[in-house]
Amino acid sequence: MARNKFDIDEDLETPFNIRHLKRALTYAAKYKSRIFLSLFISVIASVTGLVSPLIVQYAVDHCFNREGIPMLIICAAGLLACIVISVFLSRTRSKMMTRVGQDIIYDIRRDLFHHMQELPFEYYDSRPHGKILVRVINYVNSVSDIMTNGIINFILETVNLLIIMIFMFFVCWQLALVVLCGLPVYGAIIMFIKNRQRKAWQKVSNKSSNLNAYLHESIVGVQISQVFTREEVNAGINDKLAKSYRGVWMKAVGYSNLVWPATDVVSITTRAAIYFVGLVFMPGISLGTILAMGDYSGRFWQPLMQLSNLMNTFINAVSYLERIFEMLDEPVTVKDKIGAKDMPPIKGDVHFRDVTFSYETGSTVLEHLNFDVKAGQSIALVGPTGAGKTTIVNLISRFYDLTGGKVLIDDNDISEVTLHSLRSQMGIMLQDSFIFSGTIMDNLLYGRLDATEEEVKEACRVVGIHDYICTLKDGYYTRVSERGAGLSQGQKQLIALARTILSDPKILVLDEATSSIDAKTERKLQNGLNHLLKGRTSFIIAHRLSTIRNCDRIMYVSDKGITESGTHDELIAKRGDYYKLYTAQAV
Amino acid sequence: MFLLRWLWKNMKGDRAIYCVALCMTVICQAMHLIAPHITQEIIDTFLVGEEAAENLRTGTDRLVFLLCAMIGFTLLRCVIQYSSNMCYERASQGIIYRVRKVLFDNIESQDAQFYDSHRTGDVMTVVTGDLEMVRHSIAWIIKTTLECIVLYSATMVFFFTIDWLMALCMMVMTPFILLITKGFRRTVGPFYVTLREKLSEMNTRAEENISGNRVVKAFAREDTEEERFDVCNKAYNEANKKAAFTWLKFFPGLEITAQSLSVICVLFGGIFVAWGRLSFGEYAAFAGLVWTLSNPMRTLGNIVNDYQRFTASANKIIELYYSKPFITDREDADDVPGRLEGRVEFKDVSFGYGRTQVLHDINFTAEPGETVAIMGATGSGKTSLINLIPRLYDTTGGQVLVDGHDVRKMKLKQLRGGIGIATQDVLLYSDTIEGNISFGNIDLPEDEVEKYAKAADAHNFIMHTPDGYDTIIGERGVGLSGGQKQRISLARALAVKPSILILDDTTSAVDLETERNIQDALDNLDFPCTKIIIAQRITTTRRADKIIVLRDGTIAEMGTHEELIRQNGYYREVYDLQK
Repeated sequence: MARNKFDIDEDLETPFNIRHLKRALTYAAKYKSRIFLSLFISVIASVTGLVSPLIVQYAVDHCFNREGIPMLIICAAGLLACIVISVFLSRTRSKMMTRVGQDIIYDIRRDLFHHMQELPFEYYDSRPHGKILVRVINYVNSVSDIMTNGIINFILETVNLLIIMIFMFFVCWQLALVVLCGLPVYGAIIMFIKNRQRKAWQKVSNKSSNLNAYLHESIVGVQISQVFTREEVNAGINDKLAKSYRGVWMKAVGYSNLVWPATDVVSITTRAAIYFVGLVFMPGISLGTILAMGDYSGRFWQPLMQLSNLMNTFINAVSYLERIFEMLDEPVTVKDKIGAKDMPPIKGDVHFRDVTFSYETGSTVLEHLNFDVKAGQSIALVGPTGAGKTTIVNLISRFYDLTGGKVLIDDNDISEVTLHSLRSQMGIMLQDSFIFSGTIMDNLLYGRLDATEEEVKEACRVVGIHDYICTLKDGYYTRVSERGAGLSQGQKQLIALARTILSDPKILVLDEATSSIDAKTERKLQNGLNHLLKGRTSFIIAHRLSTIRNCDRIMYVSDKGITESGTHDELIAKRGDYYKLYTAQAV
Repeated sequence: MFLLRWLWKNMKGDRAIYCVALCMTVICQAMHLIAPHITQEIIDTFLVGEEAAENLRTGTDRLVFLLCAMIGFTLLRCVIQYSSNMCYERASQGIIYRVRKVLFDNIESQDAQFYDSHRTGDVMTVVTGDLEMVRHSIAWIIKTTLECIVLYSATMVFFFTIDWLMALCMMVMTPFILLITKGFRRTVGPFYVTLREKLSEMNTRAEENISGNRVVKAFAREDTEEERFDVCNKAYNEANKKAAFTWLKFFPGLEITAQSLSVICVLFGGIFVAWGRLSFGEYAAFAGLVWTLSNPMRTLGNIVNDYQRFTASANKIIELYYSKPFITDREDADDVPGRLEGRVEFKDVSFGYGRTQVLHDINFTAEPGETVAIMGATGSGKTSLINLIPRLYDTTGGQVLVDGHDVRKMKLKQLRGGIGIATQDVLLYSDTIEGNISFGNIDLPEDEVEKYAKAADAHNFIMHTPDGYDTIIGERGVGLSGGQKQRISLARALAVKPSILILDDTTSAVDLETERNIQDALDNLDFPCTKIIIAQRITTTRRADKIIVLRDGTIAEMGTHEELIRQNGYYREVYDLQK
C-alpha cells in the first residue's frame, strides 16, 4: 500500500456514481416513516400557505368599503389563523427533520468509527492520522445539511415544479413550450458548471485534508519542532498548504456561485420571450393568459433555482461523502472468518508452521519459519533491530495475516478463531506504551474492566509502581493528560506493564517492555515477573541480557530467520551469535 | 463589538474588497426594488393600458427595447451580485488565511504548560470546526444583516412618503420582533457553547483512538472504544438537537410576528381605503412590498442564531489567538550570535511541575566537548533535568547557563539552534526518511544525510526499505521497530551539528552491537560537541567524562566511572548487575 504524507493528495479511487447517493439514502431509509410524515406535513403547510392569497384577494375585492369592515376583520382573523397553522406545521416538520438528520449523522459516524476499529494496522500506518480524524469528525458534519433539509426540499421542489408545469400547459401550451425552450440552455449551463464544480470541490476536500493532517502532526510534534527550531520552516509549509487551500476554495466557490445568476438570467430571458412571442406572434391571445404565463414562468424557475442551489450543496457534500464511503469500503484484511469459532481457553502451546510473511509485496520479512513452544515456557527473542522479532510476536496475536503457513495455538489455527476471543486471552505490551488521557486508574482498568481496586494495586505492586502512584496528589485517581504527559517514560512503561498483567493473559507478549526502566528497578521488577510468568507462555523481546537470561529458551532472530535456539548456557557454550551479543554487553 | 474589531483587524489587506462588496450588496438590493418597474412598464404599456393594442402595433421597437432592458438589467444585477459574492469569499478566505497563520504560529510556540491543559483534539477543533464557522459568518452574517437593513429602511422611507399612518401601522410589529430576538439570543448562546464543547470532546476521543489504535487492538478493546465514542457521539447529537430545538421554540413567535404584517396590511389598508385615506393604487404599493419588511424580520432570527454560534466558536479562536507562551524571548535577551561553545552549567537548580518538586539543588558543569552521562532510577528526574537545557521548561530556582549565559536571557532560536536532542518518546513525521533526518537542517545535502544516518548506524536498514531514503514512514514512525525509530531520531539530532547533543536514553531499544557502533561514531563526530547522555547501560556511561547519578531529584553521586565504582553506591550496584 502506498504510504501517504501530509502534502500528497489522496486520489479518489472510485468515480462518482449514483451509488453514493443510493448509499446515502439507505441511511435515510431507516427513518422512512418520519421523513414521509414530515413530507406530508410540508404539503399541508404549503396548501395552507396557498389559502392566504385567496383570503387577501377576497378581502380586497369585497371588503374595502365601510360596510365591509366587519367582514374584513373576519378575513384578517382567518389570515392570521392560516399563518399560525402553517407556522406550527413547519415547526413540527423542522423538529422531526432535525431529529432525523442528526440521527443519520450519528449513524454514519457510529458506522465509520466501528469500521475504524476493524481496520488493520496498515491503514493507520500508511497515512497521517489527521486525515483519518477529519473524516470521522469534520466530513461527517459537512454532510449533515444535505441529509436533513436536502432530501425534503428536493422532493418538495420537484413536486412544485411538476405542478407548475401542468398548470402552464393547461393555460397555454404554446407559451409553455417557449418556457421549456429555456430548459436545454439551462441544462447545458448547469452541466458545464457541474463537471468543473465537482472536481473543484474534490480538490477542496483534498487540500483541507492535507492542511489538517499537517496541523495535526504539528500539534503532536510541537516539542520536536521547538527543540529543532523548525517553527519558521513549519510555518512556511503551513502557509503553502493554507494558500493552496484558499486557491482551490476560491475556484470551487467561483463555479458554485455561477449557478444562481445563471438561473436568474435564464428565468428572465424566458419571461421576456413569453411577452415577445405572446404579443408579437399570437395576436389573438387574451391579456389574462399572457399575464398568467409571465407569472408562471417566474414560478417555474423558482423551484429550479432552489434545486440548483440544492445541487450546489449536494455536490459539495458528495465530495465529502465519497471520502466517507471510501473509508467505509476500506477492506478489513484481518477479520473473523465466516463461521469462525471462539478460541477455547488457551493452554499456551504455540506452533509456527512454515510461516512466511511480508508487509509489502516484495520484501519478505520471515521465510518458512518453524518453531514450537510448549505451554508455560518463557521465550526470549533476541537479535539485531529490524530482524523481525516484533513481526513474530505480532503474528501470534494475528495483527497481520500470514503470507504463507500457519500459526497454531493449542492446535487451533489462529486464523480460524474469532479475533476477540484470541486477543482477549493474550496480554500484549507493545513498544509504544500508549497512555490515554484520564485517570491512572482508567488506564490500568483498560487491561480488565471489572478488576477490583485491590487487584489493580496488586498488579502495580508487582511492577513496582504502586509506591510512586501513592505519592501523587490523587493517588490512583490522578489525571494524566494525553499520551501520559507528566509521567516519565519509565513510569509509563510500568503502568502499561501493570495494565497488561491485570488482563491475566494466558500468553504474554512483552515487546521491549522494560527498555526505559533503569537496571535496578528492572531487577526488582524481574522478581515479581518471574512469579507471574509461571504457568503462562511468554514471549519477551529485550536487549538487556539480564532480562532474558532467565528465560526457558532464547531464540536468536537474524535476517536469516531463527539461527540459534536454546537456553542461555547452551547458547553460550555454542559460541555463536548469542555469545557475541552477550560478551558485547559484559562491562 | 470586540469580535467585530477583531475581524476587522484580521481583514487587513482585504478591507477595500470587503467594502466594495458591501456597496455592491446595497446596489443589488436597490436593483431588486427597481426591477419590477420595468416589467410593470411593459404590462402597462402593451397589455393593460387603454392604448395597448395601438402601442403594440406602432411600438414593437420599444417593446424589444424594454424586453432587452429587462434582460440586461437582470444580467447587470447578476454580474454585480456574483462579483460581490466573490469579494465576500475572498475577504473571508483572507481572514481565515491570516487567522490560521497566527493560530499555527501560536500552536508552534506554545510551551509544555499549554499542552498539559489543551488536548490535541481541542486544538484541532479550534482550527477546523471553529474556523469554518467564522468563515461562514463573515461571508454570510454581515452581508445578510446589511441586506436586511437596506431593504427594511428603504421600504420604510418609501412607505412614509406614501402615508405616515399606514407606515406606522406597518412598523408596529418591529419592537416585538426585537424583543423576541433578544430573548432568543440570551437563551441560545449557552447551547452553542455546549455544542462546541461536545464537538471538541468527540474530536479528542477519536484522536486518541486513532493514535492508540495498537493498544486498542492489543487489548481487544474495540467494543469498549465504540461504547466510549458512542457516548460522545450521542452527546454531540443531543447538543445539536437542543440548540436546534431552542431555535424552534422561538421560531413560531418570530415567524408569526413577521408574517402578521400581511394581516395588518390587509386590515388597516382595507380600513384606510374604506375611509378614503388611501387609494387602491397606494394600497397595492403597500401590499406589493410587505415581503421587503417581513423578510428581514424573519431573517433576523437566523442571523442571531448564526451569530451566537459564531460567538461560541470565535471566542475559542480568540483564546488561542491571543494566548502567549510563558517561555518566550525576553526583551533584554543577550544576543549570542554564531556557534555555541557548548558549556553547560547548572547552578543551584530546582524545578517542579506545579506543586510537586522534581529537582533540588542541582549543581554541575559540562565543559565544551565533554561527555556527561546521567543515570538514575525511573522517575528520578533525568528527563526533567535535560529539558531545562533547551529551556522547554523554566527552572523554579537557580540558573541554567549555556556558555555563561542564563538560558532565560538567551534568544530561544539561538539557544535551541545550538542544541541537538533525541527524545525518549521518539516522534517522527509522516515524511520520507530523508525528510525526517534533515528535519532540523532542511538544507542538508544528501550525502550528509547519509553520513549522519551512518553515524547513527541507520544506513543499513534504511537501504533495506523499499525506497531507501525516500521511503515514507508513517506518523510517529509507525512501521519501524523501536530501535530503528531511535536511530533515525539520533541521526536527526546529529544532522543539526549541534554544539550540545542531548540523548535521552536513545539507545535503549537497539541491540548491543549497534550501540557499540553508535558509541564509536559519537566519539568521532566531525564537529565539536558537548554530549549529555541519559543511559541505563554501563557500556554507555563508562566512556563519559562525568557521570551523574540522580536520586529523587538530587545528585547522589558524581564522578568518573572508576571513581563511582569505588563508591559502593547506586552506580556500583548497577555495574554489578550488568557485569
